[in-house]
Amino acid sequence: MTTTDTTTGVAPSPYRVTPARVLRSEWHKLWTLRTTWITLLTASVLVLAIGITMGTTYDGDDADIDTVVFVLFGTQLSQICLAVLGILVTAGEYATGMIRASLTAVPRRVPVLWSKAAVFAGVVFVLCLVTNVVTFLVAQIWLGGTDKELALTDSGVFGALAGSAAALTLLSLIALGLGALLRSVPGGIGAFVGSVLILPEVLTTLPLDAVDTAVKYFPAQAASALGSVTHVDNAVSPGTGLLSLTLWAAAVLAAAALLLRRRDV
Amino acid sequence: MIRAHGLTKRYGGKRPKTAVDDLTFEVRPGTVTGFLGPNGAGKSTTMRMLLGLDAPTAGRCTVGGRAYATHSAPLTEVGALLEARSIHPGRSAYHHLMALAHTHGIPRSRVRDVLDTTGLTDVAGRRVKGFSLGMGQRLGIAAALLGDPATLILDEPVNGLDPEGVLWIRNLLKAQAAEGRTVLVSSHLMSEMAVTADHLIIIGRGRLLADTTVERFVRDSGTGSVKVVSPAAARLADLLAGPTVTITSDAPGTLDIHGTDAEHIGRTAAAHAIPLFELTPQTASLEQAFMDLTHDSVEYVTSGAPLEGAAA
Repeated sequence: MTTTDTTTGVAPSPYRVTPARVLRSEWHKLWTLRTTWITLLTASVLVLAIGITMGTTYDGDDADIDTVVFVLFGTQLSQICLAVLGILVTAGEYATGMIRASLTAVPRRVPVLWSKAAVFAGVVFVLCLVTNVVTFLVAQIWLGGTDKELALTDSGVFGALAGSAAALTLLSLIALGLGALLRSVPGGIGAFVGSVLILPEVLTTLPLDAVDTAVKYFPAQAASALGSVTHVDNAVSPGTGLLSLTLWAAAVLAAAALLLRRRDV
Repeated sequence: MIRAHGLTKRYGGKRPKTAVDDLTFEVRPGTVTGFLGPNGAGKSTTMRMLLGLDAPTAGRCTVGGRAYATHSAPLTEVGALLEARSIHPGRSAYHHLMALAHTHGIPRSRVRDVLDTTGLTDVAGRRVKGFSLGMGQRLGIAAALLGDPATLILDEPVNGLDPEGVLWIRNLLKAQAAEGRTVLVSSHLMSEMAVTADHLIIIGRGRLLADTTVERFVRDSGTGSVKVVSPAAARLADLLAGPTVTITSDAPGTLDIHGTDAEHIGRTAAAHAIPLFELTPQTASLEQAFMDLTHDSVEYVTSGAPLEGAAA
């Protein structure tokens, strides 16, 4: 009576849920939606196209802007695309009801969130890194001979390109976590835009030094410290930026995991 | 085997609504058990609790001997179809099933099998967005069958299906039960359950109203009567009168007799040379018995009984 397989004549099966299998499932889910391809392609093309535009139209006016920041100007826009995709990965399942199927298959629930975060972060990081490097190299075709001529092997260049990819990935993970917390695509987008992009700008208008200092550690501000060869004015160091951003993402995902365990679906 | 003990679900803080109220029942393998109740009776909530999607406020439930979430391969233990659609419309039927299959290491061949069983092979590559309600239901059932589960929990599976699809579900459920599986299927249609289920669990306002077989339910429902039309109705009524017999009359010469059967009435009439124009046993339809039962539960609640949530 206490064993599970004796209640029916059905033979015990070789199937069972493992973390690797949940990861495989989330990988499959991500790539079998058209939205994923469209969003990732858009994010990548935006960065490349804007990078090329920056390179071809450069006339020496923006000499004080860091070269990597300059060619990767498109990441300001691709960040929105990637954040939206992150929100769709989690909140999208609540909007469609898919979450009920997902959590019936994996009733321990939290592995679904970890797997979503891991698959999404891996894909976004690789895509952003490749896009950044390609955009940098292509833009340099036109930037050669100007004060923005740099090689990939120059000190700090690859670090800044990778740092920008890491920052985009972590910001998108925050969006994914907000989507899981709020269970609503519009809600998630609103929360991301409001709290990550707008709130710090509003806070910095306050005439308080303490607030200005604190805002440097906010996600978008910490992210800006990562994608630059030279030191960014009024920002923390790249190491501190990476640490703050990682902690923000971890905190949002931990809160999402906690609520995922507790709430009814 | 499904067991629920004292299962209770309340929603809301200040004015709580009790969706499921102290429900205790067992669903045995080898038969189709119909889970019946009017809309809003708590069927879907109960099913979600069985699947660990909703946490009970009180009580507990087990499937296959343990809480659903503690199974190492839940899809092989329970296959579920929930009333609300649980499918991303942007994904194809094949990829939807494959995504679920990956979590358990279920092979591609099994996905093809269930697509075949549910008649979806031809549309497997199409996005679910374009599916009709019936095709969506079939895909939900394909997902339920994916792990070849020992228990099936299906919430209103015939919703949106054409007559052919309804017949297909009926046969599928019976075949699954005949293989020794536990089958719990909810419906608000008694007529459908009458031809599909062997056993019935009926709830109203979250409470258990009946836990019985289809046969016994009809027999015990007490609405079986005999309609008699005779020119000597009054005399016949006097002859049949007894402590267990109640006789009513809607029209002159017409009797509605409870508590005895047509054979006894016929013999009594013949013995006294009373002509009969009509002698018709009125078998209570399941639908009528069901309505009577749930109607009573509604009356009970609105008559001012101190039931939580009645104020809502």
